[in-house]
Amino acid sequence: MMSSRERVRLALEHREADRVPLDLGGTTVSGMHVDTVYRLRQALDLDAPGTAVKIIEPFQMLGEIQPDLQDALGIDAAILSGTGTAFGFKLEGWKEWRTFGGTPALVPAGFNTQAEPSGDLLLYPEGDRTAPPSGRMPRGGFYFDIIVRQEPLDDKNLCVEDNLEEFRPISDQELEHYRRGAEELYTQTDKAIVLNLGALALGNIARVPGPGLKYPKGIRDVEEWYISLTARRDHVFKIFERQTEINLANLQKIGAAVGNRVTAAYLSGADFGAQNGPFVSPQTYRHLFLPFHKQINDWVHRHTTWKTLIHSCGSVWALLEDFIAAGFDILNPVQCSAANMNPQDLKKKFGDRITYWGGGVDTQSTLPFGSPQEVRREVRERIKAFGPRGGFVFNAVHNVQALVPVENVLAMYQAAREYGSYPLRLDAAA
Amino acid sequence: MTLFEELQQAIIDGKAPVAKELTERMLKEGVRPAEFFPKAIIPAMDEVGRRMRECEFFIPEVLIAARAARGATDILRPLLVGDESIRPVGTVVCGTVKGDLHDIGKNIVAMMLESAGFRIVDLGVDVAPEKIIEAVRQHQANIVAMSALLTTTMVNMKAVIEALAAAGLRDKVKVLVGGAPVTDTWAHSIGADGYGKDAPAAVELARQLAAA
Repeated sequence: MMSSRERVRLALEHREADRVPLDLGGTTVSGMHVDTVYRLRQALDLDAPGTAVKIIEPFQMLGEIQPDLQDALGIDAAILSGTGTAFGFKLEGWKEWRTFGGTPALVPAGFNTQAEPSGDLLLYPEGDRTAPPSGRMPRGGFYFDIIVRQEPLDDKNLCVEDNLEEFRPISDQELEHYRRGAEELYTQTDKAIVLNLGALALGNIARVPGPGLKYPKGIRDVEEWYISLTARRDHVFKIFERQTEINLANLQKIGAAVGNRVTAAYLSGADFGAQNGPFVSPQTYRHLFLPFHKQINDWVHRHTTWKTLIHSCGSVWALLEDFIAAGFDILNPVQCSAANMNPQDLKKKFGDRITYWGGGVDTQSTLPFGSPQEVRREVRERIKAFGPRGGFVFNAVHNVQALVPVENVLAMYQAAREYGSYPLRLDAAA
Repeated sequence: MTLFEELQQAIIDGKAPVAKELTERMLKEGVRPAEFFPKAIIPAMDEVGRRMRECEFFIPEVLIAARAARGATDILRPLLVGDESIRPVGTVVCGTVKGDLHDIGKNIVAMMLESAGFRIVDLGVDVAPEKIIEAVRQHQANIVAMSALLTTTMVNMKAVIEALAAAGLRDKVKVLVGGAPVTDTWAHSIGADGYGKDAPAAVELARQLAAA
């Protein structure tokens, strides 16, 4: 039987393997909310009732996808990520916690919350309760939102360094973590390893506010940041120039540590698309982002066999030609519900030049609100559109959210295994 | 170019300091506060909306223009209190629904509605149905505009519509919904009066609903 690693590699080379490869949790943008992971593990009888699930990403509250769950669903990709989190504390020293949804969870030692009188929960940078909080989960909520902490901006005295505080040279300890992680996944599993470095991408709006910093300086307000892409373009260009220098130096070290055990690298998590069109004009992308994306992608392609992944929600049809020109090999999450993101058109126009990693079923309507039959039907349609000639790794559009019925998740992966066998035979009506 | 045209251009180009300066200068020269909306601010923001629809303007450009418009409206608003010659097109109570803290889209809609001559009562984010009911009563609003970004919170829009009905206010206000996961079908299914797929569409719809 073909290994998972080989299956993903073939798909990324735009060739048909034995079946369409499947992902769940290979990246922090193709995972699953902890509440849903818990319910799924219970439904599959993988755990005794009440067994806690680890939260491996406290911003989006993603649950750990363990090997037993991967095997139960036929997952082909595994995550290799750093020890840090958006909130500046490390993924270590686990302790018990319960979500508003009642899920027993394990959270890192630095995950220190404080309840407000309203019942909202606050979370602190580096877990330090004496610093101003940087995350808020509304009472009854499922995720943390970033609290913007913006010092007054003085346009005459803008300082590039202020927006670099979270961009630091990687430590030897962290490098050893990557090296060991890659080694273990490579020798102990047959999964395709996905290196996750997307969080510290240029202009990732979830990180621009500096949620991991105790006292962030520079441009940290979300609206102010978007405005700056046009109104303070030269300043932002200089910020990106320096951030790329730091990222590239780190990438070279990580590359040396993990080598070609890695199959794909998730390099940019900044969203460029909204529901109806790109956030920014193609010109803004070309002037401000493309040169730096190209620099990073060029390095990867010259020195490794990794394929590079850009994550961008929303309607990015108008930017896809530029993403390809920047050297990206893979697009995620392929939000087909956004404007101009029709699966057939995407496949026809760009499908030979970029791999679609995602797009398997809609996360905004079908997966949370549809029936298992509707999920199956959509999965079949998407495999039929994206599957031919490879270039497709199956995953839902973005993380599977809280409150999604477990039957729908099971229907999604069952349908993907069933309909995804090459050669595809999906021409007859379902 | 007339001063009204200059002000229009300053707003479209997102030049907030110029928009403020021109507004002050025009007031000194005797332009009545009520004239600014039909002759400069509304046409400017209509043009911004058109450019957004035609993909000439994107989020940064729209935010910058809205900020410039706000530069002018902030000066004008106190001067318009008690001026009977200008009545708002309608009063809109808006907010992001309970459990949801996302507000960029909602803020853009609010700014564009305000520039289109609506009175805006912005309740912010994570807004409970009771707060909306209270605001509708207090401000005698005729439109409620709700936003949600999350599939886990969009269901709270339905709770607001039910609360409006329970409070006997449902036939007094039109309900407008929007946000990334929201669709026309969803809007219908929860009994909303309209769905705005983007900010210009929301403004257009609010105008129709206010005139109805």
